[in-house]
Amino acid sequence: MVIETENLSKMYGRSRGLAGLDLEVEPGEVYGFLGPNGAGKTTTIRLLLDLIRPTGGRASVLGLDPRRDGVTLRRRLGYLAGEFVVDGRQTGRELLTYLGNLRGGVPRARVDELADRLKLDPSRRIRSLSRGNRQKIGVVQAFMHDPELLVLDEPTSGLDPFLQQEFVTMVREARAAGRTVFMSSHVMSEVQQTADRVGIIRDGRLVTVERVEDLRERAVRRVEIHFDGPVPADEFAALPGVSAVTVDGPVLRCRLDGRADVLVKAAARHTVISLLSEEPDLEELFFTYYSGDGTDAA
Amino acid sequence: MLRNPFTKWLWDSRRSLLGWALAIAGVGALYAAFWPTVNTPEMQQAMRSYPQEVLEAFNYNDLATAAGYVGSSVYGLLLPLLVAVFAIAHGTRAVAGEEDAGTLDLLLAYPVSRVRAAVQRFAAIGVELLLIGAVLWLAMLAIAGPAQLDGISAADFAAATLQMALFGACIGAVAFAVGAATGRKGLAFGVGAGVAVLAYLANGVFPQLRGLEWTRSVSPWHWNVGGEPLKNGLQVGDSLLLLGTTAVLVALGTWRFTRRDVAV
Repeated sequence: MVIETENLSKMYGRSRGLAGLDLEVEPGEVYGFLGPNGAGKTTTIRLLLDLIRPTGGRASVLGLDPRRDGVTLRRRLGYLAGEFVVDGRQTGRELLTYLGNLRGGVPRARVDELADRLKLDPSRRIRSLSRGNRQKIGVVQAFMHDPELLVLDEPTSGLDPFLQQEFVTMVREARAAGRTVFMSSHVMSEVQQTADRVGIIRDGRLVTVERVEDLRERAVRRVEIHFDGPVPADEFAALPGVSAVTVDGPVLRCRLDGRADVLVKAAARHTVISLLSEEPDLEELFFTYYSGDGTDAA
Repeated sequence: MLRNPFTKWLWDSRRSLLGWALAIAGVGALYAAFWPTVNTPEMQQAMRSYPQEVLEAFNYNDLATAAGYVGSSVYGLLLPLLVAVFAIAHGTRAVAGEEDAGTLDLLLAYPVSRVRAAVQRFAAIGVELLLIGAVLWLAMLAIAGPAQLDGISAADFAAATLQMALFGACIGAVAFAVGAATGRKGLAFGVGAGVAVLAYLANGVFPQLRGLEWTRSVSPWHWNVGGEPLKNGLQVGDSLLLLGTTAVLVALGTWRFTRRDVAV
């Protein structure tokens, strides 16, 4: 396991930040760590980095104890906070050179390559950069030494759509190169493009861990089928997993919960001209966990 | 200059450090330049008419010689005050200030231990104090001739300046240690300033009260100027007290820092 926690807990005074978290992140996977704000995502990440100390349980990252072997461990990972806060009086170049040196030096060409890719001008003072551009420096410093493990806390908040896409590509490349990515978010859409698995955390507890593929299979999607003539609505309304059926002449629209098999087979009795299925909205599934009846939904 | 937390700190403070060094050297030279005006029969007469307690409170214990004047009014009051403000501000910023601003997280998420982060920064503050001292020393040497500061050698100026830098380190270490131990910026600054004021009072004011004479012996302010290094040269005992206290404070603050949570 790249990240393994056992009953990891963190109490803040009397309130609980984390209540016995059992986490397993496998080598080479992209793990989406999802939960509403205040669920304990950042607390978990800060525990893994040894910025805060657990009040119970244990954690191991890359086989090392964050507390005892913190320096060795942090040499091998890249970290990006959701809000990348640094002293604004320096230029991006200055900061990235310094941070590279703390890691024993990162070739300038590598930094330039990443900066170009993200359309970041490192010669500018950080203070004069927009929030999104500042976040780009954060992305560069996390990726620049090609670490074994990337720990990303709400990484794309503040990035524009182009950069979000570029970021997704970078995460996929890291995965293809055998790296492990642990990425937190409060929106499914941020992780569903890249994650192999998602763990959903609520009130300091892991509610469920799912393969994104399985989620996709189970998710509700909108389907639109065009036939060569009118079809009877009730023929479809009765199908398992199919709901909200409306028929408008030769066009049938419905919601599909789960596999498409039954619906496709039913449609095949007629002449199908075209079939349109939206990318499933995983957010909806996710909300059922958020709202508290997640254990039933699983 | 971007190699490690030590050099990075110096690099980041280069502008403010230059400002402080010039200001402190300027104030020192300016006040020292008043010596010829103080050294007149009328002025000496006027000073003698003040009650002894008042003069002592302001550290004016000997205005008859250049070393007495510069030692009490310049090196005994204004300069240590400025140096203390500088040291408290930087000592606070080293851990608590950066933590409060949210910029400490990134450094500590790197392969840098907390001990290394904290100690290197304090060491950089020590270097800053020495640099300020060096500029001040050069300024005093430059003004010594024109201001007729007879009887004060370059070595005496060096001794007094070094002891003042050590005093700054000691007061800065208070703010640093409180900040490192608690992460609270306001508290660090407040305790640093409070200790500086108490140290001053314990040198010149409290000892005038019966039963409080002992406070002088534990006052870093007294360790700085009590032995009158400008007249008597480097006071090794006092210097070691300042250095030792600084080392203990830095060690305690850093030790607590390694054991606590870093605030978001």
